[in-house]
Amino acid sequence: MSVKIKERESEVFKIINTTNHNINHYKNYNQKKFKIMTEKIVVANKGLVRAEFAFWVGRYMDKFFDAFENKKILGNKCPKCGDVFVPPRKICGKCNIMIPFDQNWVDLPDTGTLKNYTITYYKINDRASRKVKKPQIIGMVQIDGSNTAIIYRLLDIEPEEVKIEMKVKVVWEDKTKGDPSDIKGFVKI
Amino acid sequence: MGRQVCIASAGFSEHASKRSDVNMPELVSEAIEDCLKKVPSVSVNDIDAFVNGNMPAFEGSNIPELWMTDWMGARNKPLMRITTGGTTGGSVAIGGYYTVTAELPGIDTVLAIAFEQQSQGDTSTGLASVAYGEISVLNTLGISYEQLTQLLSAGAAIGVASYQATNYMRRSKITEEDLARVVVQNRHNAANTWWAHLKMPDLTIADVLETPYISYPLRYGMVCPASDGACAMLFTTEEKAKDLCDIPVYVNGVGSVANESGVLGYNGSGAGQLDTSEQLGAMKSAELAFGQAGISFPRKEIDYAEVYSPFPNQELMWIERLGLFEENTASEMYETGVTALNGELPINCSGGVNSTNAIGASAMERPAVAALQIMGKASNQVPKTVHTAIGHGWGGIINLITMMVMSNKPTRKIK
Ligand SMILES: [Zn+2]
Repeated sequence: MSVKIKERESEVFKIINTTNHNINHYKNYNQKKFKIMTEKIVVANKGLVRAEFAFWVGRYMDKFFDAFENKKILGNKCPKCGDVFVPPRKICGKCNIMIPFDQNWVDLPDTGTLKNYTITYYKINDRASRKVKKPQIIGMVQIDGSNTAIIYRLLDIEPEEVKIEMKVKVVWEDKTKGDPSDIKGFVKI
Repeated sequence: MGRQVCIASAGFSEHASKRSDVNMPELVSEAIEDCLKKVPSVSVNDIDAFVNGNMPAFEGSNIPELWMTDWMGARNKPLMRITTGGTTGGSVAIGGYYTVTAELPGIDTVLAIAFEQQSQGDTSTGLASVAYGEISVLNTLGISYEQLTQLLSAGAAIGVASYQATNYMRRSKITEEDLARVVVQNRHNAANTWWAHLKMPDLTIADVLETPYISYPLRYGMVCPASDGACAMLFTTEEKAKDLCDIPVYVNGVGSVANESGVLGYNGSGAGQLDTSEQLGAMKSAELAFGQAGISFPRKEIDYAEVYSPFPNQELMWIERLGLFEENTASEMYETGVTALNGELPINCSGGVNSTNAIGASAMERPAVAALQIMGKASNQVPKTVHTAIGHGWGGIINLITMMVMSNKPTRKIK
């Protein structure tokens, strides 16, 4: 006999317990015999288990997002190789050195270059209607004066118009809050 | 077997209940900075390989070792992650030792890093697999789910530890006051450790006994905090360690023993044993590690011990099971001051896991502190000279024990 705790309705916490007391199953084990084992529900926990997570952005990223409130983009510069990071970071992995928090900040423009992009036809966060009416274009943008790319939506543009290396500009939300959603996306300039 | 391995340094981040001023890679980089600061001639570029570990899913961050690569200095270098529950840090430290002793071409110096930033996540969710163990064993005892949800109110680690505490108390005839005494010693020691979490220099036994029970006999004031923090250890060859530091700490023995019947059987097969304070796994891991290190009389030969005890009853239990004291005498050692900072065999002078518990890091912080005590560089340094010390780790519910025996001279017996 096999004992199984089955998944029902909205269960997310399920327990499957399979024990095999029939020695013949071990002697003559095959897939067919496995399938005829009976199942019995022992325990079923209905309902959802909540899992809440926070992600501390740390001091460097905090300063970066704070600048969004004033519609500004901040980077920081590696004192050794001169690479400018957007978002700013504590360590330059190429040089293995720390970029001090109180130095090397760089004010950057809200313009950049499209380095790469994709066109997506499905949303991943909405199971009810995953197919989107209008495909979304997601671009990797290198902010002018930086050596890294950030990823945002490209707005007001048809897929056939998108060209790699085209110049783009940030579209800010009217009311900024100091978080990543302050940037609506980028438009072609 | 393999070449001699030395610990050249160890370091910590500051620990607190919420390190929201740093993200996880930045937290880890703090421990690495503190570790490398003690060996000025080593830069992060001199490290040949990395071992990294934390608890899976506690922060809700998958494969964290990959996206903190730059913050460890591990870009384009060999890197592996080890995660073995509560013993993660101990396993990562043993992983660092194995990597050096293996004599792999081009790999002499290894940085081992263990961490946890519990404030980002939901530790209870992370411990759901522990709750699963309890559900399945209670099921086999005929306890229904409705009854079981009540029993689980003290689930996870404390649910395990309270059974273990009552088992131990019955065996050794100790009182709640004896448990509180262990807590007081730990929290006083933590007050003198710069990176520790719960620093309570004025705590008294009466204070501890005034706090409410969580699960008998464990009171709120007796249990470990949930901390954010990181630890790093630098392992290298004997030759290199002699150049890097004044007192290289030899790793003379390691042990890692899984003893699944320690608490509960697998998949509800029933409790594997009647007394969860028996701890055959701890005895076996000690036997292995002491055997390699050529130690026959731990009580006489060990000068300092760091054991993994989130709960005070465990501290008493481990130091007996690991052979440091005769059975049922540990409590007396706290009363008479043998285990104090200036005692004959000081225990957990960092304040231990009881005062600071960044889970993934905790089992590494034990050998890290023990090594620093040998070097004379520990934060709450014992006044006597420490020649030989141990660092122990515990992981439940599937009982797993890690042990590392360290000394200022090579005594490893296996060739
Ligand atoms: Zn650089």
